[in-house]
Amino acid sequence: MKRAFALGAVAAVLTGCNGGTVDDHALKRDAEKVASLATEGELLANDVSKGASTTPFARVHSKELSQSASDLSDALAQRPTSPGIERDVRKLSRLAARVSRQLEQLHLHPSDRGVAASLKQPLTDAADAADKLSK
Amino acid sequence: MKIFNIALGILAAIGGFVDIGDLVFNVSAGATFGYQLLWVVVIGVVGIIVYSEMCGRVAAVSGKAVFDAVRERLGFRTSLAALISAQVVNLMTLAAEIGGVAICLQLLSGLPYRWLILLAGIALGVIVWVTSFDWIERIFGYGGLCLLVFAVAAVKLHPTWSAVAHGFVPHMETESPLLYAYFAIGLLGAAMTPYEVYFYSSGGVEEQWGPKDLGLNKANAMIGYGLGGFLSFALMIVGGSLFLEKGIQPEFLGSITLGAEVPLGQIGLLLALVGILFAVGGASIDTLFAGAYNLAQYLGWEWGRYRHPSGAPRFTLTWLVLLVLGLGAVMTGVDPVQLTEYAVIFSAVALPLTYVPILLVANDRAYMREYANGRLANVFGLVYLVVIMIVAVTAIPLMILTNVGQN
Repeated sequence: MKRAFALGAVAAVLTGCNGGTVDDHALKRDAEKVASLATEGELLANDVSKGASTTPFARVHSKELSQSASDLSDALAQRPTSPGIERDVRKLSRLAARVSRQLEQLHLHPSDRGVAASLKQPLTDAADAADKLSK
Repeated sequence: MKIFNIALGILAAIGGFVDIGDLVFNVSAGATFGYQLLWVVVIGVVGIIVYSEMCGRVAAVSGKAVFDAVRERLGFRTSLAALISAQVVNLMTLAAEIGGVAICLQLLSGLPYRWLILLAGIALGVIVWVTSFDWIERIFGYGGLCLLVFAVAAVKLHPTWSAVAHGFVPHMETESPLLYAYFAIGLLGAAMTPYEVYFYSSGGVEEQWGPKDLGLNKANAMIGYGLGGFLSFALMIVGGSLFLEKGIQPEFLGSITLGAEVPLGQIGLLLALVGILFAVGGASIDTLFAGAYNLAQYLGWEWGRYRHPSGAPRFTLTWLVLLVLGLGAVMTGVDPVQLTEYAVIFSAVALPLTYVPILLVANDRAYMREYANGRLANVFGLVYLVVIMIVAVTAIPLMILTNVGQN
């Protein structure tokens, strides 16, 4: 049992669990993830605004995206960072939280075309901002 | 009515090729490398056709399925390793597929996920108990054909067809060769995942194939797995045309269906969800039966869905226990998509334990008489054995080095 536990711990370290220091590489990867979530949210919002989606799908999928952005935001707000990038890491955390809140709006109003239309530009802007942080 | 006779191949292929993990794996491969990995799908499809045809032939000629052959050729003790590895991977995959059914139902209905896991488990149990093998094949195999909506979506997304064609030629244009290798190995492992052949060969025995059905076996293997490969192409093209273009890393089943919704609207979304529901439901049944077949064949029990449950009580009890275990595992809250990605990689490690005995038995003239492998089948069989060995040896190191494909 102890051996299995030790192997698990080694595997977790080797595969990069989410609790380590945020370095340049991790910042780039996480910024790309925030941009990805925001872009996907924008695609969904666009479809909802055109009546091209269904209410259950929009409600469930926007929640998945929102939760993922929220988890990322929490992790980025707490984790230690490499010298010189802390400001960008915290900025990315706030950006992820903003994306999470916007997607939460879609989750709460999955059939409201007006709400969906109003979320498209903010999500695009958030994706662009995250994209800049990944460069 | 002849068209209905290839339902076994279609169900085995759709359940095996486009289960929840493969859906995400194929679209992620497209979203990461565009069309560059299409050639790997071709290699995987040919490989699974070669070996499925072999084990279907063994089933038709000898009336014995893969695990009977494994036990006879490797002996009771040595084949225990094959049994354990197969059952562990089967159970992981089964849990993931039950979770996948629940996610699909949730995306369709909006109801709470945990209740839908229970509903999915109970529904699968009832369907398997009351429905004949033939009708299970037809319902899930042909229902899964709704996934062809991804082929329409791929066309509607207007990919650069010259780039798609270039994807069928092995090449690598990336700064992440390890990630490229991880996806290539994962796609091969997913295409040749062992439970497909366990299910397929046992299905041949269930349908009481004999030497006269060898043509049907070939048609099942080629059309069924060819179709599975075609769907894989479509999913990868959707990944390359939509998600790579926009910088999206698809992680959820909902992301995949967005690939049909964006170009085709509501109807695309609904067809994709229904197709995935049947494909993942079919994969649940494939893995459920494969687990019960393996144990029953290994221990020499009466087995078969064509029998009344009371005619094969230990077989029936085995699939019921597996269903409860799978249900319990997914109820712990494990992410089905991640679980099945691990299952794909672990099954890659176990590939030789499945495919080496098949090749040995298919060559055994005492066993197969005039239906033993010819030269062409052996050339393909040996080439793929080398491929399988490479996949088995490199799968785990690549998974660790690439952080399970997260790089």
